[in-house]
Amino acid sequence: MEITFDEYFAYQHHAARLPADLAQGRDAVRHPVVIAGGGPTGLALALGLANYGIPVVVLEADDTVCSGSRAGAFTRRTLEILERLGVIDEVMRTGHGWTTGWTYRGDKEVFRFEMPDDANQKYPPAISHLQNYIEHCMVDAAAGRQGLIDIRWQTRVTHLQQGEGGARLDVETPLGGYAIDADWVVACDGGRSTVRDLLGLRMEGRRHEGRYVIIDIRIDTEGMPLGRRCWFDPPSKPGGTLLMYKKPGNMLRFDYQLRDDDDETEETRPERVFAQVDRHLRMLGVERPWKPVWMSLYRASALTLDSYLHGRVLFAGDAAHLVPIFGVRGMNSAIDDTHNLAWKLAFVQKGLAGRSLLESYSSERVHAARENHRFASKGAEFMAPPSAPFRLMRDAVLSLCERHPWITSLMNPRQHAAIPLYDSPLNAGSDDTAAFDAGPRPGDILRECPLQREGRPAFLTDLLGPCFTAFFFSDDGRVPAPLAAACEAIAHRVPFALQVIARRATAHEAAAVDATGRLFSLYGARPGSLYLVRPDGHVMGRWLTADADALSRAIDQVVAIPEEACHV
Amino acid sequence: MSEQELDEVYTRLCYALTEVGEAQTPAVLARLTLLLMKQVDDAGAIHGAIDSALEAASA
Repeated sequence: MEITFDEYFAYQHHAARLPADLAQGRDAVRHPVVIAGGGPTGLALALGLANYGIPVVVLEADDTVCSGSRAGAFTRRTLEILERLGVIDEVMRTGHGWTTGWTYRGDKEVFRFEMPDDANQKYPPAISHLQNYIEHCMVDAAAGRQGLIDIRWQTRVTHLQQGEGGARLDVETPLGGYAIDADWVVACDGGRSTVRDLLGLRMEGRRHEGRYVIIDIRIDTEGMPLGRRCWFDPPSKPGGTLLMYKKPGNMLRFDYQLRDDDDETEETRPERVFAQVDRHLRMLGVERPWKPVWMSLYRASALTLDSYLHGRVLFAGDAAHLVPIFGVRGMNSAIDDTHNLAWKLAFVQKGLAGRSLLESYSSERVHAARENHRFASKGAEFMAPPSAPFRLMRDAVLSLCERHPWITSLMNPRQHAAIPLYDSPLNAGSDDTAAFDAGPRPGDILRECPLQREGRPAFLTDLLGPCFTAFFFSDDGRVPAPLAAACEAIAHRVPFALQVIARRATAHEAAAVDATGRLFSLYGARPGSLYLVRPDGHVMGRWLTADADALSRAIDQVVAIPEEACHV
Repeated sequence: MSEQELDEVYTRLCYALTEVGEAQTPAVLARLTLLLMKQVDDAGAIHGAIDSALEAASA
C-alpha cells in the first residue's frame, strides 16, 4: 500500500530508449556489468564502478526516481561514501544535519540523546533528507561520468539465463523488448527483486516484525527542532509509539506502528492517517495548515539471502536483505553494500583478482546484514515490544529514566554505523596489530581526523581514493627506501597510493601534516607505523613498525588470482 | 543484612505491593528488578538469579 499525493520536488521523467546497436533483437554490445534496478543501490554501485573506469548499464523499470521518499535518515558512513560518489555537495547543501534525539513519555520529555560526535569529524553523525532527492543527485552525477553510465529507463527485466562466463537478460520497454549480455549482473532491484525471483532464491529470517504507517506532510517547519523525536504512549496515540522527524523542504515525517489487532485496511485509510497527524500536531500546539505528500504501509522484516553471489549474479541492498525500520539501516546498509562491492567487481573485471574477492563481498555483507538484524531487532523490541513482558520491562525503563540516567543506555536507538569486518578473509593477519594501544583494528573503518595538506586544513579521509591506501606515519615525511620500493612495485600491479603523514610542520611537502599529534595518538602510531586501508575505507592491516614484505603479502592475498579464475 | 533486616525489607515490599494493588504490582516489581540489577552490578550473579527464578517457576 502506497499513495503519492504530490511530488517532493519536480521529477525529471525520462523516455524509453532502445540500444543504438540492436541486432536481431539483441544488444550487440556485450557489457561488463549490467545493474538491474536504478534506485539508490543501483545508482550508487554504478557511480562506484565508474570511479574505477568500469562502464555499466543500469536497467530501471520506472521513468524517474522513486515517487515516495522512503529512507529519510542518512548516517555519517553513508555521507563519507556519497562523497566518494561525487554527490555530497548537493546532498549536504539540501539536507539537515542533526545530532539530537528526544524521547517523550506521554507528552513529557524523559530523555535526550546526542549522536556520537566530536571535533574531529568532517560530517555530522546523521542528516535528514529525502531518498528520492539523493537518487536525483545520483542520476545527475551519472550523466557527468564520461559515458560510463548508461541508464535505461522504462526497461523491465523479464528473463535471466546464466551461462559460461556471463548472463543474458531479456528486457521489455514500451518500444519493444531485446536481450542483453553481460559478464556480471548485479541485482539492485529492491525488496521484491525480480532477479531474485527469476533465480528462484528466497530470503530467510523473520518475515513480519510489525507493520508501520509512514506519512510525509508539507507544513511550515520553521522553529521546529531538528532530530529524532520519539513518543511512547502519547495522548495523540495512547498505548502506541510515534516517531517524528523534520525533513528538508518544509516537511515532516511521521511513523507509527499498528497493533497486532488493528485492521490494516481501516488504519491505512488516508482520512484515518490524517486524523492521527492532526491529533499529534494539536498535541504539540502546532496549528498550521498542512498537505499530505506520500504515505505507505511498511512491513518490517529481518530477512537475508544466505549468499549474495550466485554464478554471475550478485545481490545488493533490499534485493539481498531487508531490515526492520528502527535504526535507519535500510538504505544506509545498501550504500555500504555497494561500496564494498564496487572495487571488488572492478578488480575482478580488470583481471586483477579472482572470484574469491567477490566471495568476500558476499561473506562480509551477509555478516553485516545479520549484525544489522541483531541491532535493529533490539531497537524494534524497545520501540514496539513484541510481548506483554517486553512492554512491562520497557515501561519500567521509561518510568525510571528521568531519575536514573544510567538506565538510558537501554533506550539507545542503536542507529546504523558501519559494521566492522573483524573476520574478513582479507584482513592481514599481522601479529603486530595487537601491539597498538589505540586506533582502528583490521576490519574497522577509519576514524576521521583533521590534518593539514598542502598547507590547508583537510581530513584524513580526503586522502582516500579508488585504490588501496597505505598511511605511513613519519617524523619528517621521509619514507625508508625498502618501503618506498615495495609501494612502487605494488602500485605497478594494482591501484595503490602511499600517503605519508608527518608530525613536523616542516616536513617534506608531499606529506600530510599532523602538527597537533592528534592523528598519531588516535591511531596509536609512532614514527615508522603503517596502516593499510582497502578501497572501501576498511582497515586491512597495520604494523607498529612498517614491514615492506608484510605489506606486499597483504596485497598479494587480496589480489591473488587462482588459475581457474584467470579468465573473466 | 541480618535475618531481621531481610524480614523487614521483605515485609515492607509485601505491604507496599498490597497498597499499590495487584494491577500495579508487576510494574513495581519490574522497576525494582532494574534498580537491583544496577545495585548488584555483576552480570554473572544476575544471570544466576534469573536462572534460579526460572527454575522455581517450572518446579
